[in-house]
Amino acid sequence: MVDHPTATWEAMQDGNVFYRRQQLYSVAGKLPNLSDYIVAGCRHGGPLALMRDTSKLIALGRATTSVSKTQIHVYSLAGEALLIISWEQAKIVRFGWTLDERLVVLNEEGVYRLYDLQGDYQQFSLGAEAAELGVIDARIQDNGMVAITGSLTLLEVKGWDGGRPLALANPGLSEPPHVWSVIPPDVNISRHVEVLLSVESTILSVDNLEVVDQRLSRGPFTHISPSPNGKSLALLTFSGALWIVSTDFQRSVDEFDTNTVPGAEGPIRQVEWCGNDAILVTWDSLVLLVGPYGETLTFAHSGPTFAVTEPDGVRIMGPEVCDMIQKVPASSLSIFRPGSTSPSAILYDAWESFTQRMPKADESIRSIRPELAAAVDECIDAAGREWEPYWQRRLLNAAKFGRGFLDLHNPTDFVNMGQTLKVLNAVRYYEIGIPLTYAQYMYGSPSQLVKRLTSRNMHLLALRISAFLGLKPDPVLKHWASAKILRSKPSTTGSGKDAELTGDEEVCKVIVQKFEELGGADVSYADIAKRAWEVGRSGLATKLLEYEPRASDQVPLLLTMQEDQLALEKAVDSGDTDLVYHVLLHLHKRLTLGDFFRLIESGGPKLVAASRLLEVYAREQNRDMLRDFYYSDDRRVESAVLSLDEASRSMDPGAKLAAVKAAQKFFSDDKDRAFEAKMMDESTHLLTLQQQLEKEADGKVEFFGKSVNETINLCLLNGMSKRADKIKSEFKVSDKRFWYLKLHALTALRDFEALEAFSKSKRSPIGYEAFVRHLVEKGHSKEAVRYVAKCDGPKRAELYVLCGEWRMAGAVCKERGDKKGLEDLRKKSPNSMIARELDQIASSMK
Amino acid sequence: MSSEPDDRATSKSPEALVDVGLLKEIARKALVDALNSVNGAKTLVLDASLAGPLGLVTEVSLLKHHGVDKMFWLEPGSLSATTPNIVYLCRPMIKYVKIIADHIKRYAKESRKHTYTLFLVPRISTLITRILEEEGVLGDVTISSYNLQFVPLADDVVSLEHENAFKDLWVDGDETVIYDSAQALTTFQKLYGLFPRIVGKGDGAARLATLLSRETPKSSTSSSPDTLLTPSEKIDSLIVLDRRVDMITPLLTQLTYEGLIDELIGIKNSHVELPASLLSPPAPPAASAAGPSTSPPTSTVPLPSLKKDAKKKHHLTTTTDPLFEELRDLNFSSVGRKLNRVARRLDEDYRTNLQSKTVAQLRDFVGKLGGLQTEHQSLRLHTGLSELLVPLTRTEQFNKSLEIQQNLLASYDVSAQISAIEEMIAQGADMQVTLRLLCLASITSGGIKAKTLENIKREILQAYGYNYLPLLLSLASPSLGILLPNPLPANAPLSLTALKYPFTTLRKSLRLLIDDTPEGIDEVENDISFTYSGYAPISIRLVQCVAQKGGVISNPAEKAESDADGKRAAPQGKVQAQPIVGWKGFEDVVAAIPGATVDIVQPGTTGRVPLIASLLEPREHATTTVVFFLGGCTYTEIAALRWVGRQNRGRKFLIATTGIISGASIIDSIAGVGKAAGGSAAI
Repeated sequence: MVDHPTATWEAMQDGNVFYRRQQLYSVAGKLPNLSDYIVAGCRHGGPLALMRDTSKLIALGRATTSVSKTQIHVYSLAGEALLIISWEQAKIVRFGWTLDERLVVLNEEGVYRLYDLQGDYQQFSLGAEAAELGVIDARIQDNGMVAITGSLTLLEVKGWDGGRPLALANPGLSEPPHVWSVIPPDVNISRHVEVLLSVESTILSVDNLEVVDQRLSRGPFTHISPSPNGKSLALLTFSGALWIVSTDFQRSVDEFDTNTVPGAEGPIRQVEWCGNDAILVTWDSLVLLVGPYGETLTFAHSGPTFAVTEPDGVRIMGPEVCDMIQKVPASSLSIFRPGSTSPSAILYDAWESFTQRMPKADESIRSIRPELAAAVDECIDAAGREWEPYWQRRLLNAAKFGRGFLDLHNPTDFVNMGQTLKVLNAVRYYEIGIPLTYAQYMYGSPSQLVKRLTSRNMHLLALRISAFLGLKPDPVLKHWASAKILRSKPSTTGSGKDAELTGDEEVCKVIVQKFEELGGADVSYADIAKRAWEVGRSGLATKLLEYEPRASDQVPLLLTMQEDQLALEKAVDSGDTDLVYHVLLHLHKRLTLGDFFRLIESGGPKLVAASRLLEVYAREQNRDMLRDFYYSDDRRVESAVLSLDEASRSMDPGAKLAAVKAAQKFFSDDKDRAFEAKMMDESTHLLTLQQQLEKEADGKVEFFGKSVNETINLCLLNGMSKRADKIKSEFKVSDKRFWYLKLHALTALRDFEALEAFSKSKRSPIGYEAFVRHLVEKGHSKEAVRYVAKCDGPKRAELYVLCGEWRMAGAVCKERGDKKGLEDLRKKSPNSMIARELDQIASSMK
Repeated sequence: MSSEPDDRATSKSPEALVDVGLLKEIARKALVDALNSVNGAKTLVLDASLAGPLGLVTEVSLLKHHGVDKMFWLEPGSLSATTPNIVYLCRPMIKYVKIIADHIKRYAKESRKHTYTLFLVPRISTLITRILEEEGVLGDVTISSYNLQFVPLADDVVSLEHENAFKDLWVDGDETVIYDSAQALTTFQKLYGLFPRIVGKGDGAARLATLLSRETPKSSTSSSPDTLLTPSEKIDSLIVLDRRVDMITPLLTQLTYEGLIDELIGIKNSHVELPASLLSPPAPPAASAAGPSTSPPTSTVPLPSLKKDAKKKHHLTTTTDPLFEELRDLNFSSVGRKLNRVARRLDEDYRTNLQSKTVAQLRDFVGKLGGLQTEHQSLRLHTGLSELLVPLTRTEQFNKSLEIQQNLLASYDVSAQISAIEEMIAQGADMQVTLRLLCLASITSGGIKAKTLENIKREILQAYGYNYLPLLLSLASPSLGILLPNPLPANAPLSLTALKYPFTTLRKSLRLLIDDTPEGIDEVENDISFTYSGYAPISIRLVQCVAQKGGVISNPAEKAESDADGKRAAPQGKVQAQPIVGWKGFEDVVAAIPGATVDIVQPGTTGRVPLIASLLEPREHATTTVVFFLGGCTYTEIAALRWVGRQNRGRKFLIATTGIISGASIIDSIAGVGKAAGGSAAI
């Protein structure tokens, strides 16, 4: 018979609140004495990491073989040794756990490593500055850490992917803080990390913008501990007073004197939170829970303990047992509290009566009929909160019993809870040693649990759980494949190249087969291939990579495997231009320029896109390379265009001229580009001419770089008409264009005499209508009139109107005998006077 | 056509139209998240080409609200930031990064400490990282991304607002925009479900379709959202057209109201610069009775430059300007009439209302007053705008170029047209105008005689400058090929010969030129050709080949007219939209156009393939067809597509594009004439 749940309960606040101490595992003799070690615990039932505390004396003798070397031991909560990490680098200043159960180890040079539970690690650094100054301490949280450097400044690392550390505001310390703590960003109001430093008698709160002195006088403090929801702080002074205060230090919540605790000996080891309203204070062999109103509960342990705050309680690792202390959840309380008359308690009671075949059952059920649905729900919930399968089963049975009396009840919760408990009980088994509570499981996610199992190499269990919960098997399979590659030898039998190949073949086959069997369609073969490559199995990597459907995933590995051409082709094929650039820039760095160009050119049409991208990049950033590239491929037109581009960019006339000449040279090397070469010839000619012109104009007029048209125009405007004529003939400017230019220029100069002379110089190739229209447009109607007469007869009337000469228009109509035209004119006439005149003309025509 | 306004009214009804507001919301939220990730006050440095698109999804107050202290344009020269945080927001272009690197180096020299954050739009780029590394400042910058994808321009138009998409694709060969488009369309699919069918034309379109179908997962076990697994219910297909398929349309002068504004004044990111006098109401009306509703149409100026000239930016949008919705797609020739009618109606409304006697009538009138005044205001605006346009359409250059265009489209005396173009060059017409005409001549007549072409090129170079030689080379390059000699030189690359555009055959098979009396065209919009006064844009005809096959063969409106001789053609008399069955019926025509043809059915992986029966039977519920223009589209094409949408019941078009273009913007972008906006000072 398993103890009744209430056996572990302890009352507080006159029996209104209960705390329970649930023994999770018995670990007697499995762990060393915790007081000799520095310990870091992982939340959510994760493992403990232990490193010998070198400040403590140790008795030489048995089990002290590894005293001289720095080692970190990792134990599961059931006391099973999971991993031993030997540390060869500079002194470790701090280690701790990330949210995804990786151990962070930081040394005094600012180098930190992230170990998974298999001992594989990634290494990052806090940067050169930190390395120089040294790191003296750090606080490691779920998703980042804050470190104090040797110059007493604070550095924050966000996330665990090696991000650049950011400096927080400088607190201006002269000595290290007495104690310090960090409120993680996810529970802080500002959503940014906040650091609390105990300095002298006060506390400084520091974030990335400012340092705020909280102006306290009670310090210095020996412990600062923020509550799980980040709203309150537990502070312990040197004098032993425990002070609970809101995070903004505005509201003092409670005080408690730890000196009065009976049986407390020696210094206080830890101050941890249990939920958001109770604090756990530990001494060497005493654990004290301080409730909201200064009430206490004592829990005895035979030796030093280590407590880890969980979201729903606190976990204590003692020398003999691993315990969980938490406030009894509402549902359990409602059912099991002695004398409870809540519907759920009555339901549970009814079910018990029912199993004992007592008629009371029916009566009880009837009495709670209206609240039965809620009672059922509460029983289901309470089942999740129990540790012992015996009670879980009983509570679920009670719920099932109650359900039978309901007409309609959604069974989803019931089914889910059954499944969840099955999973939880499986992972709580001592060989696995993850004492996950229901609340923690809900806080995380099933897939996270699966991940934790795979990282312990428990693939079968993880796979079964995945299948049971209907999760995708992909993450498990991926991890399994990586592990498989790591474990398998290149060759099963024999030696030499052939044997290696067959070994690869076999592993590859096993992996692919497994994936297809279990439907791991989304597993990235590239990732696994990468793993194979990392452990030196390039043959296997290539084989696996062939199964990868996504080109973009193949590329990075192909690059590291130096399969350059293939990598580039795959990158182009992926359509992701950034990936192409990635490959190009990588190759540009690694290969000689010649090899690099050859690779691209030899690719043919497949690599056209890559070569175009290279050109885009090089045009902006590396023109010399582009010049070489074009030159090596005999691409004269592109070379010429590049030269012209340079010409248009350069300000210096000499350089510009030289660039245009170079372009001309390139064009003339290509027999199909005779026209372009000729044009460039003209261009150089024009540029030299313009330089000359500028000299002639004493630098008052800017000619250089202008078009032929503009040059002629400028000449005309500046009274260099001889020059204009010369340019016309030298550049074979068409008569039409020249006439228009001259017309426009002379009009702009208002030199109407010259214009008239010009119009008479020969028969206008552009007709005279253009004269009229342009002059009118520029507002010189008067001058325009004289050219109307030179225009074609039928148009004259209209043109006269344009000049505002209605009478003359009328006269023309008369001359031509155009009655209809006259009629039209009359209709359009702007005022009566003109209308009358037109009428006169009309009448005179008859 | 008294039923016309009704038509428009029904087209506005939310009949299952995909709500593009969602895209705006996403863009906005992403921006806020990006800004909030940097703690404290920050100086925002903005790439000017992003200001427009950002202005369409957010406003300055929102930025200020999220800690933006000051804003600057990203441009060379020093930056006077006062906040410790400097946030850069730009497209991943090398020139911008160099400026940023320069800023950082300057500050480092002055030993001033700032925290630099760089948000790249739409994603982080290796290239940028590399350049920052080469400049030696990579360690100082935190690089992140702001994924700005489709920006809604109207409730049926979304755009990536990628200015240089055309040049990137067909001049530089930089396919980034295809990838970005594929990403944006994937986001779109995530929201609304898989496109059941992808139909497309052109090599770029084919590439996009391949990328798009690759993005969609192959099996249902994958971690992608459900929407990527099931075909959309709201959308029946995606039609992708790359700009190469129809180069003729953008080269023509747009003749719809909105198109003409773009041609003659210029619309940028839905904003047009107008004289301030046109925008500000003359004097606040004294009638206080009207209450708060009197507020004039808010001409939001999202990110105004400090240029203190008389010009003011105005956001052309239908949300605050109901009149614009009626006007934007009209042929300009009928805009005057429309304005006149509206003016008269307004006048009447005022007058009848002023005669109101009883208190109840008065209250009624006061209630309407706000609406009337808004309408009045927008009438004033559009009348003024039309007055601005009219003289510009009267110029000789404008009319001459229209005449040449029409003649070229009809292949009427091509050599005379080329001489006319030459004449225009001699007269000093705008470079982009003459070059557009020249390209048009080359495409429609399959190339220009080599000798003539050489002459005219020489004229161009002499008239506008020898520095335009690279532009001419680009236009003739194998990737673009819109200015070619005929016959092609013997050693021309194969890709060039394959580009030959079968214009004359298309003109017949797609009924591009509508022989109609000009009055008829003006009077009745009975075919998409109303947009170009007689020419039907090829791109939209191709869409019709997929979505309205009857419309290619004959004018549906005309038919409806004749059917309705007896009884009035009520809106419900419209034909039910046909289901999408790919290019069926037009395979030959489509095959004749250079470029790959795409037709992919995306069944999704849930196995819920729509039944054949339901595909063929006219479905009662309305669907949306997404038309994506790779390389940009013109306002006129949008107008034409809206017209197609109005002809059928049960299908709406959603236009997606890489950006809004016009012939001028294409030529300018290739010539490298950066129309970079923005003043030089802080905002």
